[in-house]
Amino acid sequence: MTIVVYSARRILTMNPNRPSVTHVAVRDGRILGAGSLDELRGWGKVEVDDRFADKVILPGFVEGHSHAYEGGVWKFPYVGYFDRISPDGTRHKGLKSIDEVVARLQAFEKTLAPGASLLAWGFDPIYFGGRRMDLTDADKISTTRPVVVVHSNFHVANANSTVLAKAGITRSTNVHGIVKDAMGEPTGELQEMTAKYMAYRAAGVEVAAVLSDEQAVWRFARVAQLAGVTTATDLHNELPESTVDGYLRASASDDFPIRLLPAFAAGSVSPEQGIPRLQGLMKKNNDRLRFQLVKIVTDGSIQGLSARMRWPGYYDGTPNGVWNVGPDDIDRLLLAWHRAGFQVHVHTNGDEASEVAIEAVERALMTAPRWDHRHTLQHAQMADAGQFRRMKALGMCVNLFANHLFYWGDIHYARTLGPERAERMDACATALTTGVPFAIHCDAPVTPIGPLFTAWCAVNRLTASGRTLGETEKIPVADALRAITLGAAYTLKLDEELGSIDVGKRADFAVLDDDPLAVPPGKLKDVGVWGTVLGGKVFEAPK
Amino acid sequence: MIPFTVIGGFLGAGKTTLLNRLLRGATGRRFAVMVNDFGALDIDGRLVVEHGGDTIALANGCLCCTIGDSLVTTLLALLERPDRFDHIVVEASGVADPGRIADLAVLEPRLRRDGVVVMVDAGEVRQRAADRRVGDTIGRQLAAADLLVLNKIDLAEDLPGLRRLLAGHSAAPILEASHADVPLDLLLGLDRRGQAAPTETADAFTSWSYEWVEPVERETVMTMLRGPGRLRAKGIMRFADAPERRSVIHQVGRRLDVSDDGAWRDGETSRLVLLGVKPVLGSLQRE
Ligand SMILES: [Zn+2]
Ligand SMILES: [Zn+2]
Repeated sequence: MTIVVYSARRILTMNPNRPSVTHVAVRDGRILGAGSLDELRGWGKVEVDDRFADKVILPGFVEGHSHAYEGGVWKFPYVGYFDRISPDGTRHKGLKSIDEVVARLQAFEKTLAPGASLLAWGFDPIYFGGRRMDLTDADKISTTRPVVVVHSNFHVANANSTVLAKAGITRSTNVHGIVKDAMGEPTGELQEMTAKYMAYRAAGVEVAAVLSDEQAVWRFARVAQLAGVTTATDLHNELPESTVDGYLRASASDDFPIRLLPAFAAGSVSPEQGIPRLQGLMKKNNDRLRFQLVKIVTDGSIQGLSARMRWPGYYDGTPNGVWNVGPDDIDRLLLAWHRAGFQVHVHTNGDEASEVAIEAVERALMTAPRWDHRHTLQHAQMADAGQFRRMKALGMCVNLFANHLFYWGDIHYARTLGPERAERMDACATALTTGVPFAIHCDAPVTPIGPLFTAWCAVNRLTASGRTLGETEKIPVADALRAITLGAAYTLKLDEELGSIDVGKRADFAVLDDDPLAVPPGKLKDVGVWGTVLGGKVFEAPK
Repeated sequence: MIPFTVIGGFLGAGKTTLLNRLLRGATGRRFAVMVNDFGALDIDGRLVVEHGGDTIALANGCLCCTIGDSLVTTLLALLERPDRFDHIVVEASGVADPGRIADLAVLEPRLRRDGVVVMVDAGEVRQRAADRRVGDTIGRQLAAADLLVLNKIDLAEDLPGLRRLLAGHSAAPILEASHADVPLDLLLGLDRRGQAAPTETADAFTSWSYEWVEPVERETVMTMLRGPGRLRAKGIMRFADAPERRSVIHQVGRRLDVSDDGAWRDGETSRLVLLGVKPVLGSLQRE
């Protein structure tokens, strides 16, 4: 087999023995060595490829918490406040007012077939100085077809009069989640289960399939690849046959640009059914598709006011959030999957949820001692120093939601958590000093996939309004880069296979235009991604 | 419109026991039952006519489906099925707010919100309600109930105290039971193939039917419905204040709906059927 040696301006390996080299040799899709050209020539006849000579190569980025649903939603128009890059590489300009959103959707509406519903996503009114979308706005888009504009948090939506009329929603409809104005009239804003139900009613249940079909998986892979990602999770999926088929077909192609790790939704069936099911799926694993993860979702979200919080709860006095899976079931599910030898990822946003999950792991370990389980808290946004110490003692990992600092940091500071807890949220520095293995994540499509941006958040801790949220929880760039490569790989039990540029590992690289260790930390998010290499195959990002 | 009932309550309160009774009972109604976990159900294999991945069809016309990850999509998929059902029953998860689930029937024109029945474990509820992690969840469930079933009273230590505890959270009438043994007609309504006619009820409960030829004062009927011991009511009324209209009464526990059902039909009489606790209705009869 041919040996290809890539030269680069600099190669940051995450291998402490040789942290920075100039050449990497690839054979059979794996890393033969990283060092000088002379050293690598020792392996035999090599082909030197200089196309990355002025680029900087890092291990391919590992996104430890994203959802393939990101690929699904790109089937629909994006109307968010921030610029966002679609799977084909197009930059969609952020829309800076409700009128801009309406204008964009009016134009889009003209492209739709008669009778079709209009669905859009990514809308975020928190930046519009208190003004919300209402029926007048939504009806400007259309009064003849159903219109549903889903908010960026995916828990709230705005509908037009057509949608409300179809469901018979009026001022006298007494249902949780129907927002009404001062006069008691529905504004078209719908929340939680009501929003979800009306969106599916308007768009048809078949939308569920569209959101996770083979094409959606392809779009997800492309959008990840554009950001330098070579391994990404689809972190919570019931894994129905149709979805699994889509994964299998997509990942069978050599052109599929990422390694995909779906996490089985443990709460969707009993462990007695789920465990054999996942074990069966694992037999279908290939180089680009890996079934092995399990996830339990315990609480809601902080900004959705549904996180389970310990005393003293929400800063603005909102009552405590809701359990998705209650404490008893967390214990039961975790123990069953733990016993079966799986690594369990547990979604916990609030600190009470984290506490319950930590205690569940502790009890599982008492009942069934196990080494290197690496059960991982996902988000753990409110975890305090004590909880990190417990995680460390129990051998747990954590994946912190650094992007939240930017997107919702201001709200957390002012309303949900208050200054003190907002400043220590997503406590990367505490994870680092406590020695809890950690990653940082985007939770796409909740926020866009982009590990360099996520690293920038962890390093600078700036909110959208420019406030620094917790000076002491900032981490150095080098640690942030580790968190989006080897650190994330560790939380997925893939660190022996990928996450660093080291002999024997998979030849997965992120190819950057600049050296992230050399640019000012404030510019980390602006470092361009040229493309990726996956198993030795080069994927250039469209410019 | 298909009646839609939500069975809520914390883990171990007896929801599954109740559903097993419902699926086994020969009520003559075709139930579609949405559950969290098939495994917990006790279904006689000989009755199963079809076992899909997430649905089980039974010989008596009932269908079970697992809710999986999304109640919303499971319900919509169920409504798209060609089968006709007389009643849809949802088992809420042990931590869900069953009232929120019942809201779906208000939003869905094909459904009629019937009632929220919340099961309570008499042996555990006191301790659970005091638990800092789940106490508020229990409180929300109790508050959402139209009817409370205080189950496992054989395990209760202080029944009057428990009744007071529940009354502090909820205005819903309380049915007391062991092994979830409650008359299903009470929980799931009087509809039997479109007729308002209750059948056999357990000893502690009784039903009472009224018929009026002339228009009735609304307040007279409301007074009948509001008193203690009334658990369910269904009626088609010609009220004196709206003699041209058919007013439909539907009551589940503390929840009373009066809706307009078009023009009054000539030759019809006003009819009302009440279900309730025997001694109370017995005295009503005497009045
Ligand atoms: Zn999550
Ligand atoms: Zn997520």
